[in-house]
Amino acid sequence: MKFLAQDQLQAFLGHLAGESRVVAPVKGDDGVVLFRPWSPGTEVELDVLLAKQSAKEFVLRQSETYLRYGYAMEGEAAAQVDDSHEAKVALEDPAERKAAQDAAVTAHAVLVVEPVNDAPAQVIFGLRPCDARGFVQMDNVFGGYGGFYFDPYYNAKREATTLVAVTCRDPRSTCFCTSVQGGPAATEGADVLLTQVEGGFAVEVVTERGETLLASADLADAGQAQVLYAETVKETAEARVDAAFDLEGVREHLRANIEDSGWHDLSMRCISCGTCTYVCPNCYCFNITDEMVEGQGERIRTWDNCFNPSYTLETSGHNPRDIKSNRFRNRFSHKFWYYPEKYDSLLCSGCGRCITHCPTRIDIREVLGVMGSERTAVSATTPATSGGEA
Amino acid sequence: MSDRQAKIRELAGAALAEDRVDYFIGWKQGINSSEAIPAFVRNADEVDQLVWNPLSHHNLTAFLKRKMPDPPNARIGVCVKGCDSRTLVALLQEDLVDKERIYVVGVPCDGIIDRRRVEKEFADEVVSISFSGDTVTATTRCGDSKDFAKGDITFDHCNTCRYPNPFYADDMAADPVPEPEDRTPMWGTIEEFEALSPAEKDAKLADAFETCIRCFACIHACPVCVCWDQCVNRSRRPALVGQRVDTKENLMFQMVHMFHVAGRCPSCGACDRACPVEIPLYLLHRKMNKELYDMLGFEPGVSLDEKPAFQTFKLDDPFGEH
Repeated sequence: MKFLAQDQLQAFLGHLAGESRVVAPVKGDDGVVLFRPWSPGTEVELDVLLAKQSAKEFVLRQSETYLRYGYAMEGEAAAQVDDSHEAKVALEDPAERKAAQDAAVTAHAVLVVEPVNDAPAQVIFGLRPCDARGFVQMDNVFGGYGGFYFDPYYNAKREATTLVAVTCRDPRSTCFCTSVQGGPAATEGADVLLTQVEGGFAVEVVTERGETLLASADLADAGQAQVLYAETVKETAEARVDAAFDLEGVREHLRANIEDSGWHDLSMRCISCGTCTYVCPNCYCFNITDEMVEGQGERIRTWDNCFNPSYTLETSGHNPRDIKSNRFRNRFSHKFWYYPEKYDSLLCSGCGRCITHCPTRIDIREVLGVMGSERTAVSATTPATSGGEA
Repeated sequence: MSDRQAKIRELAGAALAEDRVDYFIGWKQGINSSEAIPAFVRNADEVDQLVWNPLSHHNLTAFLKRKMPDPPNARIGVCVKGCDSRTLVALLQEDLVDKERIYVVGVPCDGIIDRRRVEKEFADEVVSISFSGDTVTATTRCGDSKDFAKGDITFDHCNTCRYPNPFYADDMAADPVPEPEDRTPMWGTIEEFEALSPAEKDAKLADAFETCIRCFACIHACPVCVCWDQCVNRSRRPALVGQRVDTKENLMFQMVHMFHVAGRCPSCGACDRACPVEIPLYLLHRKMNKELYDMLGFEPGVSLDEKPAFQTFKLDDPFGEH
C-alpha cells in the first residue's frame, strides 16, 4: 500500500494529466458536483459522496458520433467514384458497375462516409466503487457475450480509461451497495482504490493498469498506522450501509409477479421521465439517429431509456410497453431479472442515485421489497389480479 | 399537526369513504422527514399518511393531465396550492381535464422551501427537517443541525407570489391566507437577468444548459406540458429537434418547452424542482410570463373564463408596437 499526501494531490493529478485527460468530480458555481475534465488548480470534490451523475458519460457518451457522411459534388465525385462508390455498389458485372458509377457521376454526387471513433486516454479520478463497478456490468453487454455484441465505440473508450476509485467514508441512507453484492470499499472495476486517511490517501493498486499508472508517480509506502486507519475507514463505512432487501430469490419473484397489480400501484407516482436511467451508472440503452443538414450528416448514438414512449415502439404502431406501469416494470426487471439471466450478474451497483434524483422519490429498494420478495406472501393469500391496467 | 393537514385528511377521508373518488392525491413523507412526495391514497383508513408542510412542493395537477390518470376514467381527488390551482385552471381552460371527474382540495400556502438550498449547507446528508413557527431546523445523518429562517430558504416564486390561495377548489383546507392588495407581479431574479448584456445572457444560458441530460423530468413534472408521447422534442420523424445532447440542442429543447407552455404556465417551478442537475429552468418560464404580462397584461391560469394567451386574440392586442 502506498500513501498520497493531501497536499500532493494536485501535483499527482497534474502528473496524470501529463499522460492523459483527467476527469474528476468538481463542484460548479451553482454548488452542483459533476464529473468534469480536470485542469490544474481545480479542486476535486470528495466531501460530497456522489456526483450528481455517474462517470458513465465518459465511456458511454450521451451523444456519440459513429460516422460522418455527405455527398461529394461534381469534380470531387469523379475522383472518388473508384474508391468509395465502388465499395458501396457491390455489383458483380463490370458493365453494370460501370453503369452505376456513371449514373452516380451523372447525378453529380457520391456518398462519402467517414467513420469516427475518438478515444483519448483518460483517467477517471474520484469515482466511488459503485460507479467503477457499473463499468464492469456494462462491459458484459458491450464487450461480452462471446464477442458477438462487441461494441467498438464503447470498448475503444473503455480500454483507454483508467479508474481511480475512492472508498466511501460516509455512505448515505440511500446507499445499498452491500445489498447488491458490492461495498463502499469494493475494488471490482477499479484500477486503483484510494482510501481517505489522516493527511491524505492510502493507495491500493488493484490491476496491472493501475500499477502502470502509479509506476511513475513516485509515491511513498504507507505506514502501518495509515494501513490500519484505512482498514478502520472501510469497516466503518461497510457498517453504515443499511441492508435494503434480500437478493435471494428476487429474480424468481420478479418473474412470478410480472402481471401483478402491484406494478400498477408502485408506478402511480412515477412521472415517466428518464432521470433514474440517465443518472444510473449501469443503464446503457441507446438509440441511433441519422441527422443531416444540407447534404452533410452524422450518424449519432444517444442515450435512450425504457420510460421513453418510443423505446419499444414498433413500426406497426404497436408498443408492447404502451403504458407507464409496463415501462416502469421494465427498469427493475431488466436490472434484476433479464440481465442476471443472461450474464449471471446484476445490473445495479447500489449507488442510490435513482432514488435521490427521482422527482417523486421512486425507491428501487421499496420496489424490490414489494415485488421481489414480500409480494409472494401477499399473492399467496389473495388471488392474483392480472394486470389491473386499463 | 397543522390544521391544514388535519383538514386535508378529513376531506380526503370523506371523499374516499363516500366513494366520490377512486383515489386521492396529496403529499406524504418521503424517505425521511426531510422531504415530502406525492401520495396516492385509495382507502379512507389510509389518509393518515397525508401531510402538509413547507416541503409539499409537488404540483400534483401533473397527475391529472392527459395519459397520466390511470385508469383514464378515474375519479381523482387532488390537493392544490395557489400556484398549482393556476395550472389546473389552465388545463380546464382547454378542456384537458374533465371537471366532473376531479375533486379539488385547495390549500392556502405560506411558501415552499427549497430543500436543495438546505442540502448545500452540509456536506453530509440531510435526513430530517422540522418546523417551528418561522424557524426551519435541518439535521444531518451525523447529527449536525442548523436553523434557518423560513423566508431565507423559500423559492423565488414563493417570495414573489401574488396568489397564495387556490383559484379553483371544491373544498378548502383552511381559510384563505392574507393576499397582497397590489397584484402587480414581482419578477424577482428575472430583472437581474434582463440587465445583462446579450453576450452575458448567452454565456449564462450556455453555462446553464451545458449540463442538461435530456432526461425530460422537466416536461413530465410540468402539469401544462401535455403532448406526452407525441412530444416534438422526442420525435424522430419529423426530426425537428436534434437528438444530440449539447448546449445548443439542449437550449433549443427548452425553448420549445417554454413556447409550448407560454400562456398556460404560471411558472410554478415544477420543472425546476424536478431537474436532477439543477438547471434554473424556472427563470425561462418566468421570463416568458413577464413578456406576456408586459405585452398583453396577461397572467396564466387566473380565470376559468379566459383562454390561454396564444389561443385567442383581442382586437386591441398591441402587436406591431413591439
